[in-house]
Amino acid sequence: MQPDSDYLDWRDVVVPQMLKVENVSKQFPGVQALRAVSLEVKSGRVHALVGENGAGKSTLVKIISGAQPPDSGRIIFNDVAFEEYSPAYASAHGISVVYQRQQLVPMLSVAENILLGEQPTRSRFLIDRSETYRIAEKLLNRLRVEVDLRKRVAELTPAQQQEIAIAKALYRQAKLIILDEPTAALGPSQIERLFELIRDLCSHGISVLYISHHLEEIFRLADRITILRDGRLVTTQATTDLTQSAVVNLMAGHDPRRVVGPSMLPAGMVDADVRMKSIASQESTLLEIRRLTAGPVLRNINLIVPKGQVVGVTGILGSGTHDIALVLFGLMQPVTGEILLGGTPYNAHDPRDAIARGVFLVPENPARDGVVAQMSIAQNITLVDLPAITRFGILRLKEESETARKYVSMLRIAAPSAVREVAKLSGGSQQKVLLAKALQAKAQLLILEEPTQGVDVNAREEIHRIVKELAATGKAVLVISTDIRDLLLFTDRILVLREGQIVDDLPASVGDYTRILNLTLGVEEAE
Amino acid sequence: MSSEKSVSNQLANKSQRSQKGPHLTVGRLRIDATTYGSTVVLIVGIIITAILQPVFLTVSNIANVLSQIAVLGILTMAQTIVLISGGIDLSVGSNVALSGVVAGLLFMHGVPLWIDCMVALLCATVIGLINGVLIAQNRAHPFIITLGMLTLLEGIAELVTGGSPVNDMGALATTLGGTIFFGIPTAVVLLFVVVVLTAFFLARTPLGRAAYAIGGNEEASYLSGIPIKRTKIYIYTLAGVIAGIAALTLSGILNAAEANIGTGLELQSIAAAVIGGTPLIGGRGGAWRSLQGVLLLGVISNSLNLMSVGANYQNIALGIIVLIAVMVQKNR
Repeated sequence: MQPDSDYLDWRDVVVPQMLKVENVSKQFPGVQALRAVSLEVKSGRVHALVGENGAGKSTLVKIISGAQPPDSGRIIFNDVAFEEYSPAYASAHGISVVYQRQQLVPMLSVAENILLGEQPTRSRFLIDRSETYRIAEKLLNRLRVEVDLRKRVAELTPAQQQEIAIAKALYRQAKLIILDEPTAALGPSQIERLFELIRDLCSHGISVLYISHHLEEIFRLADRITILRDGRLVTTQATTDLTQSAVVNLMAGHDPRRVVGPSMLPAGMVDADVRMKSIASQESTLLEIRRLTAGPVLRNINLIVPKGQVVGVTGILGSGTHDIALVLFGLMQPVTGEILLGGTPYNAHDPRDAIARGVFLVPENPARDGVVAQMSIAQNITLVDLPAITRFGILRLKEESETARKYVSMLRIAAPSAVREVAKLSGGSQQKVLLAKALQAKAQLLILEEPTQGVDVNAREEIHRIVKELAATGKAVLVISTDIRDLLLFTDRILVLREGQIVDDLPASVGDYTRILNLTLGVEEAE
Repeated sequence: MSSEKSVSNQLANKSQRSQKGPHLTVGRLRIDATTYGSTVVLIVGIIITAILQPVFLTVSNIANVLSQIAVLGILTMAQTIVLISGGIDLSVGSNVALSGVVAGLLFMHGVPLWIDCMVALLCATVIGLINGVLIAQNRAHPFIITLGMLTLLEGIAELVTGGSPVNDMGALATTLGGTIFFGIPTAVVLLFVVVVLTAFFLARTPLGRAAYAIGGNEEASYLSGIPIKRTKIYIYTLAGVIAGIAALTLSGILNAAEANIGTGLELQSIAAAVIGGTPLIGGRGGAWRSLQGVLLLGVISNSLNLMSVGANYQNIALGIIVLIAVMVQKNR
């Protein structure tokens, strides 16, 4: 390898750099996120990290980038074990993460962003502008990125911003660049540009840890693939020794849990049950979506949700699952198509409108978007319908606490009392508070986004039970989730979206984890 | 869950909480400084002043303190409602000035006093309404919108008075500016009524509840169907109404109206609310808490007066006490 002399300090890169993850474990309340995971990234190679949601990829990235310390095990970089776990330490030692959401300052110029915090100075205090632009220009020329250095980052396309983020990492002499779903916001030609750039980096001895759901990209790029499942290392193998369907099988594991109902009905009865439900559904369709086109990806969606059914919707990031929720809750307006709710045309212009018409959304991140943390459980529940506890313009606090107590015991919310601040509750309990809100809103259609994300096993089972019970009372539930296994456990049907279109609609009872995973990823199943 | 278990749970949580924040232990009683910081500072302030200056605890001095803080107290209620909703209103002081001037000028020109008061209140309300509409319709921060309003109102007040004060408010001086029963200043009674109503509004009305929700988490409130814009308009309008009441009270007490009379009141009302325990970040606080802050400011300036401390030193002392009071409640 002949390092290029004007590649800034890259010429120092003669020793092969290497990242070693040794027996790293990490536990969060209720979840063992990583169990003794080990892997090695060789210098100048693209190493792919794959696994379904919750397999531990992001936790591992956080530990490697110093954002979180491991409970046990260690990270060895360039033959030196991490002495402390902080982003500054990892960055100073040459590890850089380029996230899906860029960490650039929108109002600063391209050049200023690349050199931010480490700008060349004149007489120590003044920033040397011309030198800043000279260095940035040289770097971008070398990367063959054509961007006006004076342009504000806010004016760039997502693809350009990503390139600037990579340039920024290189200026900080990154030896290992971690790319997390880097193609999520890119078009086909931009993806090709990114791949060229990645290959160019590798030819200069820089390693790339590449995290993606797109197996096709991984098979084009990566030298080796590490597969995680349930926080454990499944295997690390050379890409040439694997096929896409083999990777899917390894991600899924050899024991794909199928439907696990409370009584594990015999197969024949399950089929009969499904048939019964589909017959009933023709009479009691609650939601019908016809040829809906909306947002950047959703194209020609047709979907029926009958009363009493729990319908799962799954797909990888950017497949349009989230946009369906946005449209139904009045947060995104359809371009074309028709939505019928209870047989009448439905077009919510905002959440208030949607709630008034019997639709309620439990957002993906309850702590951030769902609850008012400093208010009590009772206050959070009644917020969705204050008129219900108001008489002559005055809130009836007694009625409020009675209402809340009813839900606390009905949904078994783990709290000493209904006046408890929601901030002090666990993720699972916060989720239940939102379900109580849906009930208080008298919603006919519940949309749940990632309802079991980040909750412990017990809360997860309880949420499953509650959702099934809600459906049994005649409500329709739409569960939007990337956790396919979880959907298989408590939904009646699963819709699979890919690139904004429904590619399959199958009963959960016959649903097979590997098959659905293949469908979301667009991988042909090997027989 | 057995009751015994839940009690022990609560105890565990309580001790966990008090370990986190600073606390004061008096015998077996443990006072959480992050919750009761301002109360503690207020009581300590009163005790110290009473020891140094026994005059402090005389009825006439207490009445004096209360009437001095009445206007600030009323105005702080307006600020409290706005702060809880996650906003801020810098125009309350200039609203007081302009509304007072409007009443004064009308009276000067022979318009009956009750009409003057109604027009002044209407003027204050409309100012609040305009604030609310601008804030609800724009992405700009309430800080900058109400700062613009502050400057605008000051300008208008200067213009209409021509820079000279109105020196007679007629019967307003003996009613709002006088005493009601047993020699209690009317302004103090009015303050009490405004505080009680504000507390009731915040705790017991849907709009008050919505203010807490929006201040706590605007996104979650929006997704819960709270009408964000409408709520904000109502809140700033209500703040305007309360500023109008403060304007009439101040005109009565001073028996005068002047264009620059409200200068600094907006910052004092924010300081009082924050010291009392209504933080700038929204979603928390209340009328009684804010009143504590007002009382604290009143007690301190009164005790400094009693000790004949010069005005400049008073400001330094006040500034230090504001900083201390806010430090002990850092969790907010």
